[in-house]
Amino acid sequence: MRYAGYLIYSMMMLSTATFAEFRGWTLSKVDQTKVAPKTIRDNPGAYRSIYAFYPRYVGGK
Amino acid sequence: MSSPLVGPPVAKAKAMFCPNCGGPVEFRGFGHALTVVCPQCLSVLDASSPLLKIVQEAQDAQSRRTPLIPLGQRGKWAGTTWEVIGFQTRGVEEDGIVYEWEEYLLFNPYKGFRYLTNYQGHWNFVTPVESLPERRAIGSRPAVFFEGCLYKHFSGAQATTSFVLGEFPWRVKAGEEVLADDFVHPPSVLSSETTSDEVTWSRGEYTPGPEIWKAFALPGSAPRPQGVYLNQPSPYVGKIGGTWKLFGLMLLALFVIAGMFGALSRGDKVFDEHYRYSTADRGEPSFVTKVFDIDGRTSNLEVTINTNLINNWAYFNLTLINEGTGDAFDFGREVTYYTGSDSDGAWSEGGQASTAIIPRVPAGRYYLRVEPEMEGSETPPVTAAKPTPTPTPTPLFGSGNFSRPRPATVIGKSVYYEIVLRHDVATYGWFWFAALLLLLPPIFSTIRSIAFETKRWSTSDYPPTSGGG
Repeated sequence: MRYAGYLIYSMMMLSTATFAEFRGWTLSKVDQTKVAPKTIRDNPGAYRSIYAFYPRYVGGK
Repeated sequence: MSSPLVGPPVAKAKAMFCPNCGGPVEFRGFGHALTVVCPQCLSVLDASSPLLKIVQEAQDAQSRRTPLIPLGQRGKWAGTTWEVIGFQTRGVEEDGIVYEWEEYLLFNPYKGFRYLTNYQGHWNFVTPVESLPERRAIGSRPAVFFEGCLYKHFSGAQATTSFVLGEFPWRVKAGEEVLADDFVHPPSVLSSETTSDEVTWSRGEYTPGPEIWKAFALPGSAPRPQGVYLNQPSPYVGKIGGTWKLFGLMLLALFVIAGMFGALSRGDKVFDEHYRYSTADRGEPSFVTKVFDIDGRTSNLEVTINTNLINNWAYFNLTLINEGTGDAFDFGREVTYYTGSDSDGAWSEGGQASTAIIPRVPAGRYYLRVEPEMEGSETPPVTAAKPTPTPTPTPLFGSGNFSRPRPATVIGKSVYYEIVLRHDVATYGWFWFAALLLLLPPIFSTIRSIAFETKRWSTSDYPPTSGGG
């Protein structure tokens, strides 16, 4: 078939996108931590996010 | 109908002797030859005279060329056996550079004469044209119409014969000049040769070198073609449109699937609370929310933070924690919104809301740990893991609508914000990404097709920069 290569490629793209969407995958980064400390519930200050010490943007024009 | 030259008995060539060097001169053209070249001394002889009168003294030995297909070689092409009886090289000079090609004269006693031409590995099987093509024009460019096809003028130049060998049914000698014009309709080319006496037309069909090698049973392999030839068929012609059509179909399929996801995604709002944060508040800024349930299949969770920030920023460290398993998703969102006006007019930067997507969140009971920050916040040190009173997030309008009236401008470093969580949300990101990837092959093919035609026409009298192609 003349466009077999592109057809196969397209089907792969379609099925991958459909599967990824169905599974709820995302391209953005979210860190998953296994078993957060139980103390968070009672003492939220006992836990610090891994993002807590990143420099913040304070821009503006 | 098969040619009488196929299979034995095979007609023998007639031999005579060169009046210049005395060497034998073979005739293969069954008396059609008007010119024959001595293979030893390269003298051009008049084959119509009984004693082979010398037309041109021995050609310059420096100009001797060795034909890729030897004289006398026979090959079967389109059911007919052809014998190579003549060979000549011709060239055109442009900007001091001579572009030279080879011409092989083929003969069959029943079919007459044909030619094979070779330029840098590009071969054409050439047939003389009996009827005269009709002259036309495409804009200011000459063209000819022949047998239902329009041929665009490609180039015209004075072609000079630089070397001849074998026999020819016309008067030929080195140094002879004709005005050669080529008109193209790939894979065909119509060529006219104009002398002071006549105009002759011939049509060439682009033929891959390996087919020539196979037809004439030549040893080795055909020279690899260099560049793009004037009537070389584009490998992309006829494919580009089909590829774009297929792309359209796939895009349609993608939209249909995306629409189905949009329709079937539950998008359940599982959490919606309002809070206030101020840098003036003392104590631990972080807190945990009430527990909420996420039902249904494992899917994504959309976290949206709406604020009323103006010319300020806030950062939210968020942790989604599964109460049962302790599994946590740790992430942060920055919200910045600046607006104003200057000499360029009004401007704004950023936005008052931010959204994050957490992938693959299974059903369960969850709560959020929220830690807001603003300029002037000081991240307190990690406190000892002892039970302390959970800081009470400032309740804002209960759990009412975020858009309820509130102070238009928040003075100081404080922010009102709303956190909304939706489970199983159609994000379409993967479909946009797939659409982009689907687009690449058609674009790539189109660019290559344009590049191919640009390369073809760059050697013509109408290079693309002057509107050719």
